[in-house]
Formats: sequence, C-alpha cells, structure tokens
Amino acid sequence: MAAEYPALLKPTSRGRRLKADLVVLLAVVATVVALIPLASVFLYIVGQGAGLLRPEFFLEDPPGDLSAAGGGIRNAIAGTLEMTALATLMAVPLGILIAIFDTEVGGRAATGTRFLIDVLAALPSIVVGIFVYSLVVVAQGHFSGFAGSVALAVIMLPLIVVSTEEMLRLIPKPITEGARALGLRRWRTYLSVFIPTALSGIFTGLLLAVSRAVGETAPLLFTALGNNFFTAELSEPMQGMPLLIYRNALNSAYPAARDRAMGAALVLILIVLAFNLLGRWLVARRKPGRGSGR
Amino acid sequence: MNEEVAMAIETPALIAPPSEAHVRQAEDVPAASVTLRLRNVNAYYGPRRVIRDVNLDIVQNAITAIIGPSGSGKSTLLRCMDRMHEVVPHARATGLIEYRGIDLYDRRIDPAAVRRSIGMVFQQPNPFPTMSIFDNVAAPARFNGLVHGRGAAADLVERCLRQAALWEEVKDKLRQSGTSLSGGQQQRLCIARALALAPDVLLMDEPCSALDPVATLQIEQLMVDLRADYTIVIVTHNMQQASRVSDRTAFLTMGEDGAGYLVEEGPTGRIFTQPREQLTEDYISGRFG
Repeated sequence: MAAEYPALLKPTSRGRRLKADLVVLLAVVATVVALIPLASVFLYIVGQGAGLLRPEFFLEDPPGDLSAAGGGIRNAIAGTLEMTALATLMAVPLGILIAIFDTEVGGRAATGTRFLIDVLAALPSIVVGIFVYSLVVVAQGHFSGFAGSVALAVIMLPLIVVSTEEMLRLIPKPITEGARALGLRRWRTYLSVFIPTALSGIFTGLLLAVSRAVGETAPLLFTALGNNFFTAELSEPMQGMPLLIYRNALNSAYPAARDRAMGAALVLILIVLAFNLLGRWLVARRKPGRGSGR
Repeated sequence: MNEEVAMAIETPALIAPPSEAHVRQAEDVPAASVTLRLRNVNAYYGPRRVIRDVNLDIVQNAITAIIGPSGSGKSTLLRCMDRMHEVVPHARATGLIEYRGIDLYDRRIDPAAVRRSIGMVFQQPNPFPTMSIFDNVAAPARFNGLVHGRGAAADLVERCLRQAALWEEVKDKLRQSGTSLSGGQQQRLCIARALALAPDVLLMDEPCSALDPVATLQIEQLMVDLRADYTIVIVTHNMQQASRVSDRTAFLTMGEDGAGYLVEEGPTGRIFTQPREQLTEDYISGRFG
C-alpha cells in the first residue's frame, strides 16, 4: 500500500534531481575554465624556462649583449627584492595608518579618503610611473632604485589600505567594547589588540600587494630604468625582473634573449609563490595556543 | 535633591509619570554606603530617549540587580555608569552620576579613566583572541601602568585568576590562547581581567546569558564571593538569578514614550515579596514583559 505523502515531504522528482546535478556540473566546468589559463601559462613557462634554472642563472649578471647566450639575472632578482622591500617599508605603515584613520575617524573625512584610495587603486600603473618620474626622478636629476621603490609603494598603498580597513572592520564588537571598557588608550588598543587580531588578514592583503608590485613593469620604466649590472645602491638605476623580462622579450628574435625572458618569468612566478607560502606559514604559526579560535 | 526630583515628576514631558517611588527609593540606604549615585539620568540615542529620569543609589559591597523587560534600558543604564554608553555614535547621557562623590561626567574627567576605575563584564565573553590567558589578565594592567616587571605581573595574574575562581583550571596552561577555554571559563577570565585593574565596582551586563546552567552557577557563586570586596551591579533577564544572588533589585520598565524608567528599587527580598508598585508585581509574577 503506497504511503500518503504530506505536501512538503514529497519525494524529489527525477527531473529536480537532474537539474540540481546540472547546476553542480556547471559550477565545476566554470571553475575548470577559469583554471585553464592559469595552468596553461604556468605549464608553458615551466616548460620553456625550467632548463635555464642552473646556479649561474641566479649568480651571474646578463651579458652586455642581449643576443649572447649565458649569464644570469642576478641583478634583476636583487633589484626586485630590494625595491619591493623598500616599497613595503614605505607602504605598510602609511597604509595601516590610513586604514586606522578611516575606521577610527569615520564620517565625511573617511569617505573622502576612501574615495581617493579607490581612485589610486584604479590608476593605470604607467601613470604612477610618470607621476613618480616627475616627482622623484626629475627632482633627483637621475633614474634610481629609490624612485622605483616609491612607484611600487604607490601601487601597493591602496591594496594595503583596503585590506587592512576591511580586516579592522571585521573585529567583533565584543572585542572592541572589551578594550574600551578597560580604558585602554586608543593607540595601545590598536597596537596590542586590533592589529594582532586582524594580522592574518592584513598579511594576506600585504602578500597580494607584494605579488602585484613584484610583477609591475610600467612604474619601473621611468623610475628605476633598468641596469645591465648588479647594484645594491638605491641611488643608481636598478634592474627589476619585469624590466629584464620586458627588454629580453622585446628582442625575442634572439633565442638567447627569448630563453632568458622565459627563465626570468619562471623565477618571478616562483618568487611570488614563495612569498605566498612563507606568509601563510608565518600567519599560521603565530596564533597563540592554537585554541579552538571561536 | 528632593526638590529636583519633585520638579522632574511635574515635568509635562513625562507621559506616564511613575508614582512617588522615585522619591522614596533610597530611604533605607545610609548615604555613606552609596558607591554610585544616579540623579535624573537620561540617556539618548540621537534624538530618541531610552532612559528617563532615573534616580538610583548603588550600595557599596552589595549586589544590585537591574531587572526589567527587553527594551527597558537596563543595559543602557548600566553602560551610563562607566561611560560606555557614549561609545556608540550619537549616544549621550545627561544628569548626574557620582562615584564616591566624584561627578563622572565632569568635563575634566577622561571617560577612559572612568572605565579604568569601574570594571565591566559583557554578555558575550570577550577575551582578546591573540593573547594568552596570562596576557589577557596582565596586559591591560600593564598598559595602564598598574604593574611593572615579570614577577609582579605573575603575582597579579595568579591573584586575579584565584579571585575569579579560575586559577586551578588554567594554572598549567597560562600560555594558551584565552579563546581556547570554555564559555564559562572565558567569562571568568574576563572577570579576572577586569579585577586586574583594581576597580571596586564591577558592572556585569547579562554575564550568564551565553552560558550553560553549570557555568551560570559558578559565575553566581563568584559574584557572591566577590561581594565582600566589590560593589556589583548586574543586569539580568533572569529573575531567579536576581532573587538568588542580589541584595538589592531595581526594576525598570518601558514607558509609553519608549524610554525606560525606574519603577522601584529596594532590598531584593522586599521587591520580590512585597513590591510597592503594581507594575513590579505584574512583572515578577510573569503577567507582562
């Protein structure tokens, strides 16, 4: 004898289940489609560049003539790391302070800064390059690694502000009220309670900003300029990975230049990957006690 | 002072003036034992008044329970007592709140200083998530300059955790995160953190409503133990809790204008057995609210 089903407890029809499966399938296909460019670019570059990853590629400067084989990209690796590090030192404190201003002061002033930060984030990076050219390079009278750092800092700043602000906003109200009720000074509250609480998010934003800055070419064109030789001196023109890739790829008619560009591209990707893994590991490690974290 | 109160009652703005309970509420309290004195306290969120003309004396070394239906402004009134109310944007309070004769709303008084002197415990346990159990207690005291050096901090932490009846449970894991504890332990940690600033008043805003019955009883026992050294004000939804732990009870309700006001206040035994106001009796016997 067939049971009588109540209205809301009818068995799901075959068609309904098929539709549900179809939607899941669509979602999977969309994900795969999105991953195809990433995977193909990565695999292509690994295929083209992996052969170059010998010790001398990291330890030697490129030959004076792009078309000549041999040499390495030491100058570009060092330049990128140095300029990015200095840019981080400039952008992080400034970015965090702006984010604190926005969350703490609020009101019309914060709406204003938020708008300006959005504009800055949307600025084409070549414009940032020209801006820093006129601001630093012209004033100094020459291209320099320092100017490159300033340009990269301008690129990083809005990313850091937005992510930090987002994280500060996510701090639960009981925590902010708890700090208030203990009569802690504001700067102390930020330094010892809010920033540590938001740190993993701030760090993720920083990684995003660093990854972006490491790969930027346009801001460096008119600032760091590029340099065929190794230098650690920030007052001199400095080579960067994207600049080296750009110059060598422009001359890809020469197999040596083409290979060098591919090898450098692979190294650049690996550097970004390493930053990401390192950052995630640091964030995971510094949680005290590994509590249930509710 | 009685004149002020009498004037307040005649103010036409009061839509539903309570009876003379206002005037007689503190008759059984000797002035010397009053820790917090509230006179004509009004609290607002923007233009909306949420507390109307509250006159209340908080008695030293006693537990005062504030009870009343939702929306009667219990928490707001409590938050006026350590100037936490005004933390909310557009919130403000008027009237007089005196702590041992000091006007807490004096312009020369820093609200943060008020909050350092009067402890507060919240509904949701809120230990700082990135700090260890030890630092949750020690850091606020250190930041406010009350303790210097490792040894002194360790002594303070042990003393406060013992006072909060948590020491035995956490003494072997002081380095672990404060959030690794159970809800009831977290709440006692927050009490210890408040005690570390050496307040003599502890304001508790529904401290047990997020806790299970066992943890609730532990907190209640703790309050009774702390009464010898502290003046405690507790906001609670739970009338059994008020009758179990408190010495005095203040009953608030919401007036027709949407603002909470004090109906009556007195020794808990009397409020629960012989309330003077019909409203109180109705609330206590569960007829409304």
